[in-house]
Amino acid sequence: MNRLRFLLLPIVVSFLVGVPVFWAFPEDLRFWRATAIVLGWVGCGLLLASLLLMVREVRLAIWLGGLERMTLWHHRGGVAAYLVLLLHPLALAADGWHESPLLAWQVISPFSMSWTVWVGWGALLLLMLGLATTFARRLPYGPWRWLHGLLGIGVIIGFVHVLLLGISIAALLATLAAVLLLVWRLIRVDAGLAARPYVVNSVHPVARSMVEISLQPLATPIVARAGQFVLVAFFHGPHYRGCGEYHPFTICATGPGVGFSIGIKALGDCTQQMQRLEPGVAARVQGPFGEFLAERPATPQIWVAGGVGITPFLSILRSELLSQPTRLLYLFRSAADAAFLDELQALADRDAHLILEAVPTGAGLPNVEKLLPASDLLSGNECYLCGPPALIESLSRVLRDRGVSELNIHFERLDFR
Amino acid sequence: MTRKLFIFSTIAFWIAVTGLGTLSVWWLPAGQGTAQARDKTLSPADLAKHTSPENCWMAIRGAVYDLSTYLPEHPSRPDIVLPWCGKEASEAYNTKMKGRPHSPYADELLAKYRIGSFAKVP
Repeated sequence: MNRLRFLLLPIVVSFLVGVPVFWAFPEDLRFWRATAIVLGWVGCGLLLASLLLMVREVRLAIWLGGLERMTLWHHRGGVAAYLVLLLHPLALAADGWHESPLLAWQVISPFSMSWTVWVGWGALLLLMLGLATTFARRLPYGPWRWLHGLLGIGVIIGFVHVLLLGISIAALLATLAAVLLLVWRLIRVDAGLAARPYVVNSVHPVARSMVEISLQPLATPIVARAGQFVLVAFFHGPHYRGCGEYHPFTICATGPGVGFSIGIKALGDCTQQMQRLEPGVAARVQGPFGEFLAERPATPQIWVAGGVGITPFLSILRSELLSQPTRLLYLFRSAADAAFLDELQALADRDAHLILEAVPTGAGLPNVEKLLPASDLLSGNECYLCGPPALIESLSRVLRDRGVSELNIHFERLDFR
Repeated sequence: MTRKLFIFSTIAFWIAVTGLGTLSVWWLPAGQGTAQARDKTLSPADLAKHTSPENCWMAIRGAVYDLSTYLPEHPSRPDIVLPWCGKEASEAYNTKMKGRPHSPYADELLAKYRIGSFAKVP
Protein backbone atom coordinates (compact mmCIF):
# COMPACT_ATOMS: atom_id res chain seq x y z
CA MET A 1 0.00 0.00 0.00
CA ASN A 2 1.47 3.31 -0.99
CA ARG A 3 1.86 6.17 1.48
CA LEU A 4 -1.01 8.26 0.05
CA ARG A 5 -3.52 5.44 0.37
CA PHE A 6 -2.17 4.62 3.84
CA LEU A 7 -2.75 8.21 4.96
CA LEU A 8 -6.04 8.83 3.17
CA LEU A 9 -8.19 6.92 5.66
CA PRO A 10 -6.94 8.81 8.77
CA ILE A 11 -7.20 12.06 6.80
CA VAL A 12 -10.86 11.35 5.90
CA VAL A 13 -11.72 10.43 9.51
CA SER A 14 -9.92 13.55 10.83
CA PHE A 15 -11.81 15.70 8.32
CA LEU A 16 -15.21 14.27 9.28
CA VAL A 17 -14.45 14.85 12.97
CA GLY A 18 -12.58 18.14 12.60
CA VAL A 19 -15.04 20.09 10.44
CA PRO A 20 -18.07 19.90 12.78
CA VAL A 21 -15.91 20.49 15.85
CA PHE A 22 -14.33 23.55 14.23
CA TRP A 23 -17.75 24.84 13.15
CA ALA A 24 -19.33 24.42 16.56
CA PHE A 25 -16.31 25.12 18.75
CA PRO A 26 -17.69 26.94 21.79
CA GLU A 27 -16.47 30.38 22.86
CA ASP A 28 -16.79 31.94 26.30
CA LEU A 29 -18.48 28.93 27.82
CA ARG A 30 -17.85 27.18 31.09
CA PHE A 31 -15.36 24.32 30.77
CA TRP A 32 -17.75 21.39 31.16
CA ARG A 33 -20.42 22.82 28.84
CA ALA A 34 -17.78 23.48 26.18
CA THR A 35 -16.42 19.96 26.71
CA ALA A 36 -19.91 18.46 26.34
CA ILE A 37 -20.49 20.31 23.06
CA VAL A 38 -17.10 19.28 21.65
CA LEU A 39 -17.67 15.64 22.72
CA GLY A 40 -21.07 15.64 21.03
CA TRP A 41 -19.66 16.82 17.73
CA VAL A 42 -16.62 14.50 17.94
CA GLY A 43 -19.08 11.63 18.40
CA CYS A 44 -21.14 12.80 15.40
CA GLY A 45 -18.00 13.02 13.22
CA LEU A 46 -16.83 9.54 14.27
CA LEU A 47 -20.29 8.10 13.56
CA LEU A 48 -20.27 9.62 10.08
CA ALA A 49 -16.78 8.20 9.45
CA SER A 50 -17.94 4.80 10.69
CA LEU A 51 -20.94 4.93 8.33
CA LEU A 52 -18.72 5.85 5.38
CA LEU A 53 -16.42 2.91 6.14
CA MET A 54 -19.21 0.35 5.92
CA VAL A 55 -19.86 1.25 2.29
CA ARG A 56 -18.32 -1.50 0.16
CA GLU A 57 -17.44 0.06 -3.16
CA VAL A 58 -14.48 -1.27 -5.11
CA ARG A 59 -12.89 2.14 -5.82
CA LEU A 60 -13.50 3.43 -2.29
CA ALA A 61 -11.87 0.28 -0.89
CA ILE A 62 -8.83 0.81 -3.14
CA TRP A 63 -8.43 4.45 -2.06
CA LEU A 64 -8.84 3.69 1.64
CA GLY A 65 -6.45 0.74 1.80
CA GLY A 66 -8.76 -2.25 1.40
CA LEU A 67 -12.01 -3.61 2.76
CA GLU A 68 -10.36 -5.32 5.71
CA ARG A 69 -8.74 -2.07 6.85
CA MET A 70 -12.01 -0.17 6.34
CA THR A 71 -13.85 -2.73 8.47
CA LEU A 72 -11.26 -2.46 11.24
CA TRP A 73 -11.55 1.35 11.28
CA HIS A 74 -15.37 1.07 11.05
CA HIS A 75 -15.33 -0.97 14.27
CA ARG A 76 -12.81 1.22 16.05
CA GLY A 77 -14.53 4.44 14.92
CA GLY A 78 -17.90 3.14 16.12
CA VAL A 79 -16.58 2.16 19.54
CA ALA A 80 -14.70 5.47 19.87
CA ALA A 81 -17.91 7.38 18.98
CA TYR A 82 -19.82 5.38 21.59
CA LEU A 83 -17.25 6.14 24.31
CA VAL A 84 -17.25 9.85 23.46
CA LEU A 85 -21.07 9.98 23.37
CA LEU A 86 -21.25 8.30 26.80
CA LEU A 87 -19.16 11.18 28.13
CA HIS A 88 -21.39 13.80 26.44
CA PRO A 89 -24.31 13.64 28.95
CA LEU A 90 -21.89 13.21 31.86
CA ALA A 91 -20.10 16.42 30.84
CA LEU A 92 -23.48 18.21 30.62
CA ALA A 93 -24.28 16.98 34.12
CA ALA A 94 -20.85 18.13 35.33
CA ASP A 95 -21.71 21.59 34.02
CA GLY A 96 -24.89 21.67 36.09
CA TRP A 97 -23.10 20.30 39.15
CA HIS A 98 -21.58 23.68 40.02
CA GLU A 99 -25.08 24.93 40.80
CA SER A 100 -26.43 21.78 42.44
CA PRO A 101 -26.56 18.01 42.00
CA LEU A 102 -30.29 18.46 41.38
CA LEU A 103 -29.66 20.63 38.34
CA ALA A 104 -26.94 18.22 37.15
CA TRP A 105 -29.51 15.43 37.21
CA GLN A 106 -32.28 17.52 35.65
CA VAL A 107 -30.11 18.33 32.63
CA ILE A 108 -29.72 14.65 31.68
CA SER A 109 -32.64 12.98 33.45
CA PRO A 110 -34.61 10.70 31.11
CA PHE A 111 -37.66 11.68 33.20
CA SER A 112 -37.45 15.24 31.90
CA MET A 113 -40.46 16.30 29.88
CA SER A 114 -38.27 17.00 26.90
CA TRP A 115 -38.24 15.29 23.53
CA THR A 116 -34.63 16.39 23.06
CA VAL A 117 -33.52 14.48 26.15
CA TRP A 118 -35.73 11.47 25.39
CA VAL A 119 -34.44 11.22 21.84
CA GLY A 120 -30.84 11.60 23.07
CA TRP A 121 -31.38 8.77 25.54
CA GLY A 122 -33.10 6.67 22.88
CA ALA A 123 -30.13 7.06 20.55
CA LEU A 124 -27.64 6.20 23.28
CA LEU A 125 -29.59 3.11 24.36
CA LEU A 126 -29.83 1.88 20.76
CA LEU A 127 -26.08 2.37 20.31
CA MET A 128 -25.55 0.48 23.58
CA LEU A 129 -27.81 -2.40 22.55
CA GLY A 130 -26.44 -2.51 19.00
CA LEU A 131 -22.83 -2.65 20.22
CA ALA A 132 -23.68 -5.28 22.83
CA THR A 133 -25.05 -7.55 20.10
CA THR A 134 -22.11 -6.68 17.81
CA PHE A 135 -19.78 -8.17 20.39
CA ALA A 136 -22.00 -11.27 20.78
CA ARG A 137 -20.02 -13.31 18.26
CA ARG A 138 -21.79 -16.56 19.09
CA LEU A 139 -24.97 -15.26 17.50
CA PRO A 140 -25.67 -16.79 14.07
CA TYR A 141 -24.76 -14.37 11.27
CA GLY A 142 -28.38 -13.69 10.17
CA PRO A 143 -29.79 -12.42 13.50
CA TRP A 144 -26.44 -10.77 14.27
CA ARG A 145 -26.68 -8.73 11.06
CA TRP A 146 -30.20 -7.51 11.85
CA LEU A 147 -29.32 -6.63 15.44
CA HIS A 148 -26.21 -4.80 14.19
CA GLY A 149 -28.67 -2.64 12.22
CA LEU A 150 -29.86 -1.17 15.55
CA LEU A 151 -26.67 0.88 15.44
CA GLY A 152 -27.78 2.50 12.17
CA ILE A 153 -31.17 3.42 13.68
CA GLY A 154 -29.37 4.73 16.79
CA VAL A 155 -27.13 6.94 14.66
CA ILE A 156 -30.08 8.50 12.81
CA ILE A 157 -31.97 9.10 16.07
CA GLY A 158 -28.79 10.64 17.48
CA PHE A 159 -28.74 13.17 14.65
CA VAL A 160 -32.47 13.87 15.25
CA HIS A 161 -31.43 14.74 18.83
CA VAL A 162 -29.04 17.34 17.40
CA LEU A 163 -31.78 18.69 15.12
CA LEU A 164 -34.14 19.05 18.08
CA LEU A 165 -31.57 21.24 19.81
CA GLY A 166 -32.24 23.81 17.08
CA ILE A 167 -28.78 23.48 15.54
CA SER A 168 -30.24 23.72 12.08
CA ILE A 169 -27.57 23.88 9.36
CA ALA A 170 -24.84 21.54 10.64
CA ALA A 171 -27.33 19.08 12.09
CA LEU A 172 -29.31 19.00 8.87
CA LEU A 173 -26.19 18.39 6.77
CA ALA A 174 -24.90 15.72 9.16
CA THR A 175 -28.29 13.98 9.27
CA LEU A 176 -28.59 14.02 5.49
CA ALA A 177 -25.06 12.62 5.17
CA ALA A 178 -25.84 9.84 7.67
CA VAL A 179 -29.12 8.91 5.93
CA LEU A 180 -27.42 8.99 2.53
CA LEU A 181 -24.60 6.69 3.69
CA LEU A 182 -27.05 4.26 5.32
CA VAL A 183 -29.29 4.16 2.25
CA TRP A 184 -26.22 3.75 0.03
CA ARG A 185 -25.08 0.79 2.11
CA LEU A 186 -28.56 -0.80 2.25
CA ILE A 187 -29.27 -0.47 -1.47
CA ARG A 188 -25.83 -1.01 -2.99
CA VAL A 189 -24.49 -3.67 -0.60
CA ASP A 190 -27.28 -5.38 1.36
CA ALA A 191 -29.88 -5.28 -1.44
CA GLY A 192 -27.12 -6.10 -3.94
CA LEU A 193 -27.50 -3.23 -6.43
CA ALA A 194 -23.71 -3.07 -6.74
CA ALA A 195 -23.52 -6.82 -7.41
CA ARG A 196 -23.17 -8.48 -10.83
CA PRO A 197 -25.37 -11.45 -11.82
CA TYR A 198 -23.61 -14.81 -12.17
CA VAL A 199 -24.67 -18.43 -12.39
CA VAL A 200 -23.06 -21.55 -10.90
CA ASN A 201 -21.35 -23.45 -13.71
CA SER A 202 -19.87 -26.40 -11.82
CA VAL A 203 -19.47 -27.78 -8.31
CA HIS A 204 -16.56 -30.02 -7.23
CA PRO A 205 -15.96 -31.41 -3.75
CA VAL A 206 -12.28 -30.78 -2.95
CA ALA A 207 -12.11 -31.90 0.69
CA ARG A 208 -14.32 -32.78 3.63
CA SER A 209 -16.92 -29.97 3.96
CA MET A 210 -15.40 -27.96 1.15
CA VAL A 211 -16.37 -27.43 -2.49
CA GLU A 212 -14.93 -25.48 -5.39
CA ILE A 213 -17.60 -23.56 -7.29
CA SER A 214 -17.06 -22.07 -10.73
CA LEU A 215 -19.20 -19.10 -11.69
CA GLN A 216 -20.04 -17.69 -15.11
CA PRO A 217 -21.25 -14.10 -15.64
CA LEU A 218 -24.72 -13.34 -16.97
CA ALA A 219 -23.82 -9.70 -17.71
CA THR A 220 -20.67 -7.56 -17.53
CA PRO A 221 -18.16 -9.58 -15.50
CA ILE A 222 -15.99 -8.31 -12.68
CA VAL A 223 -12.29 -7.86 -13.46
CA ALA A 224 -10.40 -9.78 -10.79
CA ARG A 225 -6.77 -10.68 -10.19
CA ALA A 226 -5.57 -13.97 -8.73
CA GLY A 227 -5.60 -13.81 -4.93
CA GLN A 228 -8.38 -11.22 -4.61
CA PHE A 229 -11.68 -11.97 -2.90
CA VAL A 230 -15.32 -11.31 -3.74
CA LEU A 231 -18.58 -11.13 -1.80
CA VAL A 232 -21.00 -13.71 -3.19
CA ALA A 233 -24.64 -14.46 -2.40
CA PHE A 234 -26.33 -17.58 -3.74
CA PHE A 235 -30.05 -17.65 -4.45
CA HIS A 236 -32.24 -20.33 -5.98
CA GLY A 237 -31.59 -23.10 -8.51
CA PRO A 238 -33.47 -26.14 -9.79
CA HIS A 239 -33.28 -27.93 -6.41
CA TYR A 240 -31.39 -25.46 -4.26
CA ARG A 241 -32.69 -22.68 -2.03
CA GLY A 242 -29.94 -20.24 -1.13
CA CYS A 243 -29.75 -18.07 1.97
CA GLY A 244 -29.07 -14.93 -0.09
CA GLU A 245 -26.43 -13.59 2.33
CA TYR A 246 -23.23 -12.05 0.98
CA HIS A 247 -20.14 -13.91 2.25
CA PRO A 248 -16.48 -13.29 1.36
CA PHE A 249 -14.68 -15.94 -0.71
CA THR A 250 -11.19 -15.89 -2.17
CA ILE A 251 -10.94 -16.44 -5.90
CA CYS A 252 -9.23 -19.81 -6.51
CA ALA A 253 -8.86 -19.39 -10.24
CA THR A 254 -9.68 -16.84 -12.89
CA GLY A 255 -10.79 -18.06 -16.30
CA PRO A 256 -11.13 -19.75 -18.63
CA GLY A 257 -12.91 -16.88 -20.33
CA VAL A 258 -14.48 -14.43 -17.94
CA GLY A 259 -15.60 -16.75 -15.15
CA PHE A 260 -13.83 -17.56 -11.92
CA SER A 261 -13.96 -20.14 -9.16
CA ILE A 262 -14.09 -19.91 -5.37
CA GLY A 263 -13.52 -22.36 -2.55
CA ILE A 264 -16.31 -22.67 0.02
CA LYS A 265 -15.64 -24.30 3.39
CA ALA A 266 -18.60 -25.11 5.64
CA LEU A 267 -17.97 -22.75 8.56
CA GLY A 268 -21.55 -21.72 9.40
CA ASP A 269 -25.19 -22.43 8.59
CA CYS A 270 -25.14 -20.60 5.25
CA THR A 271 -21.80 -22.01 4.03
CA GLN A 272 -22.93 -25.48 5.18
CA GLN A 273 -25.96 -25.07 2.90
CA MET A 274 -23.63 -24.01 0.06
CA GLN A 275 -22.02 -27.46 0.09
CA ARG A 276 -25.19 -28.62 -1.70
CA LEU A 277 -24.92 -26.02 -4.50
CA GLU A 278 -25.68 -27.25 -8.01
CA PRO A 279 -25.12 -25.92 -11.56
CA GLY A 280 -27.73 -23.35 -12.55
CA VAL A 281 -28.04 -21.65 -9.14
CA ALA A 282 -28.28 -17.86 -9.46
CA ALA A 283 -25.56 -15.85 -7.70
CA ARG A 284 -24.65 -12.19 -7.29
CA VAL A 285 -21.05 -11.04 -6.94
CA GLN A 286 -19.61 -7.84 -5.42
CA GLY A 287 -16.00 -6.88 -5.81
CA PRO A 288 -13.25 -7.73 -6.38
CA PHE A 289 -11.46 -6.58 -3.24
CA GLY A 290 -8.06 -7.13 -1.63
CA GLU A 291 -4.40 -6.73 -2.43
CA PHE A 292 -3.12 -9.56 -0.26
CA LEU A 293 -0.59 -11.02 -2.73
CA ALA A 294 -0.63 -8.23 -5.30
CA GLU A 295 2.61 -6.39 -4.52
CA ARG A 296 5.09 -9.12 -3.71
CA PRO A 297 8.73 -8.00 -3.65
CA ALA A 298 11.54 -10.00 -5.30
CA THR A 299 12.81 -11.26 -1.92
CA PRO A 300 12.36 -14.90 -0.76
CA GLN A 301 8.93 -15.64 0.65
CA ILE A 302 7.25 -17.81 3.20
CA TRP A 303 3.57 -18.54 2.68
CA VAL A 304 1.59 -20.17 5.48
CA ALA A 305 -1.93 -21.43 4.78
CA GLY A 306 -4.35 -22.88 7.32
CA GLY A 307 -7.23 -24.96 5.88
CA VAL A 308 -9.33 -22.95 3.42
CA GLY A 309 -6.65 -20.24 3.67
CA ILE A 310 -4.84 -22.12 0.91
CA THR A 311 -7.11 -20.54 -1.74
CA PRO A 312 -5.29 -17.20 -2.39
CA PHE A 313 -1.95 -19.04 -2.72
CA LEU A 314 -3.50 -21.65 -5.01
CA SER A 315 -4.95 -18.84 -7.09
CA ILE A 316 -1.48 -17.31 -7.64
CA LEU A 317 0.15 -20.68 -8.35
CA ARG A 318 -2.54 -21.57 -10.89
CA SER A 319 -2.08 -18.25 -12.72
CA GLU A 320 1.71 -17.85 -12.91
CA LEU A 321 5.16 -19.32 -12.34
CA LEU A 322 6.84 -17.79 -9.31
CA SER A 323 9.78 -15.44 -9.77
CA GLN A 324 11.07 -15.59 -6.18
CA PRO A 325 12.02 -18.56 -3.95
CA THR A 326 8.86 -19.43 -2.04
CA ARG A 327 8.19 -21.93 0.71
CA LEU A 328 4.53 -22.83 1.13
CA LEU A 329 3.63 -24.33 4.51
CA TYR A 330 0.15 -25.85 4.14
CA LEU A 331 -1.49 -26.79 7.46
CA PHE A 332 -4.63 -28.94 7.57
CA ARG A 333 -6.28 -31.15 10.18
CA SER A 334 -6.10 -34.48 8.37
CA ALA A 335 -5.71 -35.90 4.87
CA ALA A 336 -9.49 -35.65 4.38
CA ASP A 337 -9.27 -31.86 4.92
CA ALA A 338 -6.31 -31.30 2.60
CA ALA A 339 -8.09 -29.49 -0.24
CA PHE A 340 -6.20 -29.22 -3.54
CA LEU A 341 -3.16 -31.12 -2.15
CA ASP A 342 -2.58 -33.28 -5.26
CA GLU A 343 -2.81 -30.23 -7.50
CA LEU A 344 -0.43 -28.27 -5.24
CA GLN A 345 2.12 -31.09 -5.44
CA ALA A 346 1.84 -31.04 -9.23
CA LEU A 347 2.29 -27.27 -9.25
CA ALA A 348 5.34 -27.56 -6.98
CA ASP A 349 6.84 -30.17 -9.33
CA ARG A 350 6.60 -27.80 -12.30
CA ASP A 351 7.72 -24.62 -10.47
CA ALA A 352 11.43 -24.63 -9.52
CA HIS A 353 10.91 -21.72 -7.08
CA LEU A 354 8.23 -23.42 -5.00
CA ILE A 355 8.82 -25.72 -2.03
CA LEU A 356 5.63 -27.27 -0.69
CA GLU A 357 5.45 -28.52 2.87
CA ALA A 358 2.08 -30.11 3.68
CA VAL A 359 1.51 -30.81 7.38
CA PRO A 360 -1.49 -32.56 8.97
CA THR A 361 -1.86 -30.91 12.39
CA GLY A 362 -4.81 -32.73 13.97
CA ALA A 363 -7.63 -30.91 15.75
CA GLY A 364 -6.93 -27.69 17.63
CA LEU A 365 -4.36 -24.97 17.17
CA PRO A 366 -1.03 -26.43 15.91
CA ASN A 367 2.28 -25.81 17.63
CA VAL A 368 3.49 -23.18 15.20
CA GLU A 369 6.80 -22.72 17.02
CA LYS A 370 7.85 -26.13 15.73
CA LEU A 371 6.43 -25.60 12.27
CA LEU A 372 7.97 -22.22 11.44
CA PRO A 373 11.63 -21.91 10.34
CA ALA A 374 14.29 -20.71 12.78
CA SER A 375 15.20 -17.00 13.03
CA ASP A 376 18.23 -17.21 10.71
CA LEU A 377 16.14 -18.88 7.97
CA LEU A 378 13.42 -16.22 8.32
CA SER A 379 15.81 -13.32 7.88
CA GLY A 380 15.15 -11.39 4.66
CA ASN A 381 11.90 -13.26 3.98
CA GLU A 382 8.51 -11.76 3.27
CA CYS A 383 5.81 -13.69 5.17
CA TYR A 384 2.23 -14.10 3.92
CA LEU A 385 -0.36 -15.75 6.18
CA CYS A 386 -3.93 -16.83 5.49
CA GLY A 387 -6.17 -18.91 7.73
CA PRO A 388 -8.34 -18.81 10.85
CA PRO A 389 -7.83 -15.67 13.02
CA ALA A 390 -6.40 -17.65 15.98
CA LEU A 391 -3.80 -19.29 13.71
CA ILE A 392 -2.80 -15.96 12.16
CA GLU A 393 -2.39 -14.37 15.59
CA SER A 394 -0.27 -17.27 16.76
CA LEU A 395 1.89 -17.25 13.59
CA SER A 396 2.34 -13.45 13.71
CA ARG A 397 3.43 -13.58 17.34
CA VAL A 398 6.05 -16.28 16.71
CA LEU A 399 7.33 -14.51 13.58
CA ARG A 400 7.71 -11.24 15.51
CA ASP A 401 9.47 -13.09 18.34
CA ARG A 402 11.91 -14.46 15.75
CA GLY A 403 12.81 -11.00 14.51
CA VAL A 404 10.49 -10.58 11.51
CA SER A 405 9.34 -6.97 11.23
CA GLU A 406 5.61 -6.13 11.24
CA LEU A 407 6.18 -4.62 7.80
CA ASN A 408 7.22 -8.04 6.45
CA ILE A 409 4.20 -9.91 7.84
CA HIS A 410 1.09 -9.81 5.65
CA PHE A 411 -2.20 -11.51 6.34
CA GLU A 412 -5.83 -11.61 5.33
CA ARG A 413 -8.64 -12.57 7.69
CA LEU A 414 -11.86 -12.06 5.69
CA ASP A 415 -13.76 -11.49 8.92
CA PHE A 416 -16.23 -8.68 8.32
CA ARG A 417 -18.42 -8.98 11.41
CA MET B 1 -9.85 -5.36 23.70
CA THR B 2 -12.69 -3.20 22.30
CA ARG B 3 -15.20 -5.62 23.84
CA LYS B 4 -13.67 -5.14 27.29
CA LEU B 5 -13.59 -1.38 26.72
CA PHE B 6 -17.30 -1.46 25.81
CA ILE B 7 -18.26 -3.47 28.88
CA PHE B 8 -16.14 -1.41 31.28
CA SER B 9 -17.28 1.97 29.93
CA THR B 10 -20.97 0.96 29.86
CA ILE B 11 -20.87 -0.23 33.48
CA ALA B 12 -19.00 2.93 34.55
CA PHE B 13 -21.56 5.09 32.72
CA TRP B 14 -24.54 3.49 34.44
CA ILE B 15 -22.85 3.73 37.83
CA ALA B 16 -22.32 7.46 37.23
CA VAL B 17 -25.89 8.05 35.99
CA THR B 18 -27.63 6.06 38.73
CA GLY B 19 -25.30 7.65 41.31
CA LEU B 20 -26.24 11.11 40.11
CA GLY B 21 -29.95 10.26 40.03
CA THR B 22 -29.80 8.88 43.57
CA LEU B 23 -27.84 11.88 44.82
CA SER B 24 -30.33 14.32 43.28
CA VAL B 25 -33.20 12.62 45.16
CA TRP B 26 -31.22 12.89 48.36
CA TRP B 27 -30.25 16.47 47.57
CA LEU B 28 -33.80 17.71 46.92
CA PRO B 29 -34.78 18.50 50.55
CA ALA B 30 -31.41 20.05 51.31
CA GLY B 31 -31.66 22.25 48.22
CA GLN B 32 -34.88 23.78 49.46
CA GLY B 33 -33.35 25.98 52.12
CA THR B 34 -34.95 28.85 53.97
CA ALA B 35 -34.14 31.21 51.13
CA GLN B 36 -36.35 29.14 48.80
CA ALA B 37 -38.98 28.32 51.35
CA ARG B 38 -41.06 31.30 50.27
CA ASP B 39 -40.73 30.20 46.66
CA LYS B 40 -43.77 28.54 45.13
CA THR B 41 -43.03 24.97 44.06
CA LEU B 42 -44.53 23.98 40.74
CA SER B 43 -44.85 20.43 39.47
CA PRO B 44 -44.50 19.11 35.87
CA ALA B 45 -48.32 18.83 35.89
CA ASP B 46 -48.64 22.53 36.78
CA LEU B 47 -46.19 23.37 34.05
CA ALA B 48 -47.98 21.27 31.44
CA LYS B 49 -51.14 23.40 31.78
CA HIS B 50 -49.42 26.45 30.27
CA THR B 51 -48.59 25.56 26.70
CA SER B 52 -50.11 28.31 24.59
CA PRO B 53 -48.34 31.47 23.34
CA GLU B 54 -50.64 33.59 25.53
CA ASN B 55 -50.05 31.40 28.57
CA CYS B 56 -46.55 30.01 28.29
CA TRP B 57 -44.56 28.67 31.24
CA MET B 58 -41.17 27.02 30.95
CA ALA B 59 -38.95 25.23 33.46
CA ILE B 60 -35.32 26.26 33.06
CA ARG B 61 -32.46 25.19 35.33
CA GLY B 62 -34.72 24.22 38.21
CA ALA B 63 -37.03 27.28 38.13
CA VAL B 64 -40.34 27.99 36.40
CA TYR B 65 -40.83 31.15 34.32
CA ASP B 66 -43.99 32.72 32.93
CA LEU B 67 -42.84 33.95 29.53
CA SER B 68 -46.28 34.85 28.15
CA THR B 69 -45.60 38.58 28.03
CA TYR B 70 -42.03 38.19 26.83
CA LEU B 71 -42.59 35.85 23.88
CA PRO B 72 -43.55 38.57 21.37
CA GLU B 73 -40.17 40.20 22.03
CA HIS B 74 -38.09 37.01 21.66
CA PRO B 75 -35.71 37.31 18.66
CA SER B 76 -36.11 33.69 17.41
CA ARG B 77 -38.81 32.46 15.12
CA PRO B 78 -41.92 31.50 17.14
CA ASP B 79 -41.69 27.88 15.93
CA ILE B 80 -38.37 27.49 17.74
CA VAL B 81 -39.54 28.79 21.12
CA LEU B 82 -43.25 27.92 21.30
CA PRO B 83 -42.81 24.11 21.34
CA TRP B 84 -41.06 24.49 24.71
CA CYS B 85 -44.09 26.12 26.41
CA GLY B 86 -45.24 23.88 29.26
CA LYS B 87 -42.00 21.90 29.22
CA GLU B 88 -38.61 21.49 30.89
CA ALA B 89 -36.50 23.63 28.53
CA SER B 90 -33.06 23.79 30.23
CA GLU B 91 -31.38 21.88 27.41
CA ALA B 92 -32.87 24.16 24.74
CA TYR B 93 -32.00 27.27 26.77
CA ASN B 94 -28.44 26.04 27.30
CA THR B 95 -27.86 25.04 23.69
CA LYS B 96 -29.02 27.89 21.54
CA MET B 97 -27.66 28.15 17.97
CA LYS B 98 -24.40 26.17 17.51
CA GLY B 99 -24.89 24.56 20.93
CA ARG B 100 -24.22 27.80 22.79
CA PRO B 101 -26.25 28.98 25.77
CA HIS B 102 -28.06 32.25 26.10
CA SER B 103 -26.05 35.30 27.16
CA PRO B 104 -25.69 36.58 30.75
CA TYR B 105 -28.06 39.38 29.68
CA ALA B 106 -30.68 36.78 28.83
CA ASP B 107 -30.09 35.16 32.23
CA GLU B 108 -30.83 38.47 33.95
CA LEU B 109 -33.86 39.04 31.77
CA LEU B 110 -35.15 35.57 32.49
CA ALA B 111 -34.95 36.12 36.26
CA LYS B 112 -37.66 38.81 35.98
CA TYR B 113 -40.18 36.22 34.83
CA ARG B 114 -39.53 33.68 37.58
CA ILE B 115 -42.69 32.49 39.29
CA GLY B 116 -41.42 29.54 41.32
CA SER B 117 -39.13 26.54 41.60
CA PHE B 118 -39.59 23.39 39.60
CA ALA B 119 -40.28 20.20 41.52
CA LYS B 120 -39.09 17.23 39.55
CA VAL B 121 -40.70 13.90 40.19
CA PRO B 122 -38.13 11.28 39.17
